[in-house]
Order: sequence, then C-alpha cells, then structure tokens
Amino acid sequence: MRFLNLFRLVSMFLLVVFAATTLNFFLPRLIGTDPVAERISAIAETGGGNVDIEAMSQAYRERLGLGDTLWSQYLSYLGDIARFDFGFSIANYPVTVNELMAQALPWTIGLMLTATLIAFAIGSLLGALTVWPHAPRIFANLTPAIMVLGAIPFYILGLLLIDIFAFRLGWFPIGGGYPIGARPAVTFDFALDVLRHAMLPGLSIVLAAIGVWALQMRGMIVTVLGEDYVTFAEAKGVRPTRLFFRYGMRNAILPQLTTLALTFGQIVTGAVLVEVVFGYPGLGTLLFQSIGYSDFFVIQGVVFVLVLTVAISMLIMDIVLPILDPRLRG
Amino acid sequence: MTTVTSMSADLDADPAIDRVPSDAAPVLQVEGLAVDFFADGRTVHAVRGVSFDLAKGRRLGVVGESGSGKTTTALALMRMIKAPGRIVSGRATVGGTDLFALSDAEMRMERMRTVSYIPQGAMNSLNPVYRIEEQFFDAMIDHGDGASRSDLRLRVAEALASVDLPSDVMRLYPHELSGGMKQRVCIAIGIILSPKLIIADEPTSALDVITQRQVMSTLDKVQNRIGAAMILIGHDIGLMAQSVDELMVMRDGVIEERGSIDRIFAVPEAAYTKLLIDSVPVFDRKPARAKAQAAATSDAAPLLELSGVSKTYGTSIFSKGKIALHPMSLRMPSDRPSIVAIVGQSGSGKTTLGQLALGLLPPTTGTIRFAGAPVTGLSARDQRSFRRDVQAIFQDPYSSFNPFYKVDHAFTVPLKELGFGISGQARSELIAEACAQVGLDPTLILGRFPHELSGGQRQRLMVARALILKPRLIVADEPVSMVDASQRASILANVQALKDNYSISVIYITHDLATAYQVSDFVIVLQNGHVVEAGPPEDVIGASKHPYTRLLINSIPWPDPNRPWASADELDNGPAAPSGAETFAPALHSFSGGVELEVPE
Repeated sequence: MRFLNLFRLVSMFLLVVFAATTLNFFLPRLIGTDPVAERISAIAETGGGNVDIEAMSQAYRERLGLGDTLWSQYLSYLGDIARFDFGFSIANYPVTVNELMAQALPWTIGLMLTATLIAFAIGSLLGALTVWPHAPRIFANLTPAIMVLGAIPFYILGLLLIDIFAFRLGWFPIGGGYPIGARPAVTFDFALDVLRHAMLPGLSIVLAAIGVWALQMRGMIVTVLGEDYVTFAEAKGVRPTRLFFRYGMRNAILPQLTTLALTFGQIVTGAVLVEVVFGYPGLGTLLFQSIGYSDFFVIQGVVFVLVLTVAISMLIMDIVLPILDPRLRG
Repeated sequence: MTTVTSMSADLDADPAIDRVPSDAAPVLQVEGLAVDFFADGRTVHAVRGVSFDLAKGRRLGVVGESGSGKTTTALALMRMIKAPGRIVSGRATVGGTDLFALSDAEMRMERMRTVSYIPQGAMNSLNPVYRIEEQFFDAMIDHGDGASRSDLRLRVAEALASVDLPSDVMRLYPHELSGGMKQRVCIAIGIILSPKLIIADEPTSALDVITQRQVMSTLDKVQNRIGAAMILIGHDIGLMAQSVDELMVMRDGVIEERGSIDRIFAVPEAAYTKLLIDSVPVFDRKPARAKAQAAATSDAAPLLELSGVSKTYGTSIFSKGKIALHPMSLRMPSDRPSIVAIVGQSGSGKTTLGQLALGLLPPTTGTIRFAGAPVTGLSARDQRSFRRDVQAIFQDPYSSFNPFYKVDHAFTVPLKELGFGISGQARSELIAEACAQVGLDPTLILGRFPHELSGGQRQRLMVARALILKPRLIVADEPVSMVDASQRASILANVQALKDNYSISVIYITHDLATAYQVSDFVIVLQNGHVVEAGPPEDVIGASKHPYTRLLINSIPWPDPNRPWASADELDNGPAAPSGAETFAPALHSFSGGVELEVPE
C-alpha cells in the first residue's frame, strides 16, 4: 500500500513535468519573433563588413535545428530534455545552456533559498506570537507593522534598502554578486564579500516575505487556539512554551508547509526582479536577458529548472507531510 | 483576586438550596463565584453568586442548557476563563488551596495534580499529531515527573488499564481510536496524577448510549479508586439521575436549585427543574397517537423501496472492504405516511441506510426506488424532482447553515433551485409560514445570521426548510442529539406533525430508543449492519426479544435515581457481533401501516 502510494506520487510528478515541458516548448514559439534574425542583425551591427545574411542565417538554423518542422523539433526537444541537454544559447553561441545555468544557479539557490527559509521561520514564529495569549504584548502590537511589510513588494523594498544602506550609508555594495575584478574562489575573503553582497537583496526578500508568512500563520493559530486539544492541554497543566510549540505551532505549521513547497517554485521567478534590481548574477537575471533576446533554448532550460523545482518540492511535501501528520498515512 | 462574600450570603438564605449532609470535610468549597464577559461595551454576567461545596468521594451533577454557565463555572475552577471573560468575585478552595489566590505558574502546577478537567467533545481533545503516550508524558514531565521514558510508560500503562484499555493503545495516534476509546484516554490522562477533584464536562455527549454507559462506569471506577470528588457537567438529566449524589440545576448563570438527587427527583422545587425532568422522553409517557390502520394492499408503487440493498466501503483489489450494511429490503407505503425509526450504535449502519435512501450513496448491491423510479443514475431534471420529494435533516444544526449568509438563504436557495416559480412577496410569505409551522416567530428569526440563533432554533429551521418544499419523504439523521433537552420534545413534535398534518413520511435515524418509541410507527434495530429486530415500537422496544435491543434499552440513563442502570456485567456479556442465528429471522415481514421488511438468507 505504501509502495503503491509512492508509485502514484512519482507518476503524478512525471506527468506534471511532462505537461509543463510541453507547454514550455510551444509558448516561446508563439511570441512570433525570430531569434536567429535578431542575433544576426546584432552581429551585423557590431561586426560590420559584408556579411552574407542569408547564408549565415541558414547555417545558424541548421546548427540549432530550427529548420525542421515543429513536430520533429518537439520530439528531439523531448529527447534532449530527458538527457538534460538544452542545447546552445542562441545569443551566446557556442556557449551551452547548461553552462550558463551552471554559472547562475548557485547564486540564486544561495540567495533565494536561504532568504525564503529564513523568512518562513521568522515569519511563522512571529505570526504565531502575535495572537498567542501567553506571548508578550509587544508581539500583538506588531501586527499592523507586519501587515505593512506584507503589502510592500520586495523590489520596492529593495530600492529603499539600496538608497539607505548602499547609497547614503555605504555599508553594503550597491549591486552584483561579488566585487568587480575579484575571481570566484573558495577563500574566506571571497566568502565574506559574497555575504556582504547578498545582504541587501536577501534582506529585501526576507522583510517582504515575513509579512505574508506571519499573516498566514496568525490565521492558522487562531483556528488551532479554538481546538479542544489546546484547551485540554492547558487543563493538563502543560508549560506555556510546550503548549505553544507542541500543541500550537506543531499543528498550525502543517498548512504552511504546503505553501512553502509552492513558494520554492517562485524562487526563480521571484528572483527575476530582485536580481535585476541588485544586478545579481543568478538565474533570474539570465532569464530576464534571454527573454530580451528571444533565446528559446535558455528560456526553455530555465523554465524547465523552475518546473522541476516546483514538482520536486511538491513531491517532497507529499512524502514528508504524512510523516508529520499521522492522519494522512493511508 | 478580590473576594466578595455578600452575594453568597443572600444565596445561602435561599430555601431551594439545601445543604447535603456529609460526614467528611468538604474538599471543594466555592463561595460567591461570579464571571463576567465584557464585549462591545456590554457586560454579560455569565455566572453569578455560585456557592457550593463537595466532599471527598462525592459526585455533584451540574445540569443546564447551553449558556446556563455550567461550563463557565468549571473553567473558572480551572482558572481557564479566556478574555474577554474574567472571574470578578468569589473564592474557590480545593483541599485548603485557594485557587484564585495562586499565581499563574502555581495554578498551572495545580491543574491535573489537584483539579483535573476532562473535556467535552473527546473527539478533538487529543493532539492529532502525537501518539497517545506523548499526551501523557507532556503533562507528567511538566509536573516534575522527569523519570525515564520506560518508567513513565509503566505508569501510562497502569492508567490505561484502569480505564479498561490495553497498553498498546499508548503507541497509537488519536485518529486510530474510536470515540469511546478517546474519551477513556482523556479520563486516564485526567487521573494520572490522582487529583483531589475531577471535573468532567459532558464527557459522553458525543457517544452512543451503550458506549456512554461503559464510559460512565469507567469514570465511576476510577473516581472510587483515587477517592476524588467529582463534578459532572451535562444537559441530560437522565444521565444525572443515574450518576450523581447531588444535583445543581443552573440557568442563566445562577443556581436554580441544589440538593440530593433523590430529593430533586422526588420533589423538584424549581419549576425549571420540573420542566427538565418532564422533557426526558420515556416509554411509559407515550403521547397518544392514532393506531395505524390495518394493512391494506395497494397497487400503487411503494413510496420508498429498497430491494436487496447492501453497502460495502473501501473495496479495492487489495481489500474486501468493510460491510456497512448487509442485504435487506424495505418498503414504505405510498398511500399513507409512516415514520420508520432506524436505531443502533455508531457504526451500526444506520446513517449509511439514510444516505442510501437520500440517493447520496450508491448501493453496492440491490436497487433503491422512490415512487417506482430508481434513485441512482437520474437525469438532471429527475434529480431535481427527486430532491424536492426527498429532503434531509441532519444532526448538527451548527454546521448545517452557511455562516456567511442570513438564515433566509437556506430557504431561498432550494426554492430557486428546485423550480418553484415564485418570487418576492409570495416567497417571503411561504418562508414565514414554514417558520410558524415549526413554532418559530418569523419576525424574530428571519433576517438573522445562524450564529445569532440557538441550536434548537436552528434545528427547527432545518425542519421548516425541509417542510417548505412539500416533500413526500424526509430523512432525519439524529435530529435532536445536539440540541438542549427542553428543545427536544418540541422538535420531535415537529417531526410528528410532518406525518400527522402534512402527510410526509419520515425515516428517523437515532441511537435514542426512547425518542424512537415516541415518534415512530415502525422500528428497525441495526447492529453491525445486520437487522437484529424490527416491528412496531410497542413490540420492539416495549417487549424486545433480542439481547442487543435490550442492551440498548437498558443503557438509556433513566430519569429516575431508583431505577437501576445496565450493570457492567450486562455490558461485558452483551452480544458482540451477531451470528446468523441471532439476526432477524430471514423472511418477509409485513407490518400494520403497510411497512414491509425482508431480510434474505
């Protein structure tokens, strides 16, 4: 029965990935721009000279496999995806999509994943404390501030932080993932630099997301507070901290986790604006630039990573939630 | 906490409160307890001038309707009144400890060690994400019992044994236990630190009669074992008669009457007490009703016809499933209305039978026909006409209404959806008329939100809502089990009137044989999906032949302190699962009133 359930979950996972991958193939092609033409006109502008535009465009198309029918392109695309081969970047030929993503991915994961997890932890705790009856009164008074934070988009918050901490106070760098001129290396100094650069974008995400997590948690705790098991736990003379964590938080966090899994999928999309505002060398910036060049293959690669993140995090939640909630075990 | 004694002084002079003599010094003394709730600039006096005391080993029953202040009194003794409520005056001592003078931290330590609270609604009283043992450990560790897990487990096993549960229950999760088992676990938690006072707040209100009897005898046993005083809170005065030494009747936050249980049942002083006692349905007080005419053969298709119907849940390639209802056939006549009661414990298949009749569940085998037409696989149009003809009244009047809409919504939607071409003034008049028919004043009820009405009012509205569509059959699933005792009689009268005044047939599903006896023409007793006895109530309930029916009857807490309740022996030796021989004789049975029941071989 357990095995069967796992089989069901994995099949569902594969189906979701397949459907999203298919959409991912057709959607960029509906935009109607010709990436090869854009690329060649860009070369023509910069390179100058007498370029045989027809021959060059033909060569590009053949090399990139854009000359085939849509259907055969789709089939070979599916085959490539199965091998995690996304081909070459049109804009940066002959650099492969995998190479571009490999450069960008660590930055995005390091920044966005960490910031999301920190925001989740602080936000959930804070939200719970705003309505918990035994919590210090200061937390209840924080609610309006949390609502304001939750309402400000993080890129606006980001601009505000840049203005105050980077521009006026000069405490943190204005943008980038590491100092211009520094070579990425595994040294303490470089790590410190990376941390300094990640501070402001990270803070803008954490601050904005805390509000959302806190408000959701607040609602859940209100529901849990009305449950009989909380009343009975109090009647059992359980310590207030135990009551809070084991009876309140432990039950209220369950729906939050599903939201967290969905949020992981938005890490990359969410990264677009933050990374663009802060000039951060992550997947968001890569996606933003690729859309500008209609670079199908890079878009496909990034979106595939995105789909995979959502699907994998949902799969993990489907497996983890029954461990946390015995009622879900079949 | 300030102590005000002036209130209790004049209550002491009240002649209705007689001091029950007791040799032992009282373990609990409450004087002039008052609790106020502050809301919207108004002050609601939830409890006023409550004074009583209770000796070791004694049991005090507190009875009253919802809102009478009985649970508030209990929570005040636990110091668990939530804002905006507050204990405004009074004094409560347990074994010399002044509860209201303690700090919050000190009071926490007294909970469970001195005063235990066994909550209402045991269904939800255990934390769903932890094993049973953890729920014991939490309390034990926080009272300084930091012994090793294996030592704690030994004590948990002992506590579980004292409530007749095997020790492996501790490794299970709450959702793996039945309602009765959960309630026993709550009792075991409540007594593990041997408190001086146990407060049991409606500990059996969600359980069927047999389980209720078993849980009450467990409670009785553990109380005697640890020698604690006990306060039993409830709304069922019959249960009080069978369980307590002294009774305190509360209404609107004050004590109406207090005295020994024998005295109160012999000579109730307050008119309200008398009303409560009289409102309990018993067999010998059956309202006069017309004797059903002799069965006349009729050519018309039966109103409802179940042929060889059975229901099995959870069948898959891996599992044979669980049989909820074994094959049976039932015919209700169309030429004259009848009330058929389906009785049994939870899990007996009675609700399944009701859902099948409503067409909400497809039968596993057999066919169900309403007025000659099958009820499953209907076209959208036939479905609507079937819905109009067959209406339901459910158990829980609190969740039957959509809380976002005014109660009128529950009337207007079916009127619109089910194709009554009326609107505006005519519709309002129809709704008002339906309210009046169930004894509600439409001007006071309509235009209000569900939360503004009492459970009894809401349930009567549900009857009115079913009535307004002029159906031919109503399936009422435990319609009175969640409403206050004083409201039950009038709702049952409403149900009776459906048949007598509006010629509507009723399937009345209940675990309460007394009400089944009162309203029905025909009773079917189900046990584990088998029909074990059936026939007119005078035979089935008045002179029952099957041991299971007798067990159900004997488990009813009779509102008479001198009539013995089913003994623990009887419960233990009661029939478990019926074997073939014990079930109803397989044959076709015709009964007066035209109801026919057939149980195949």
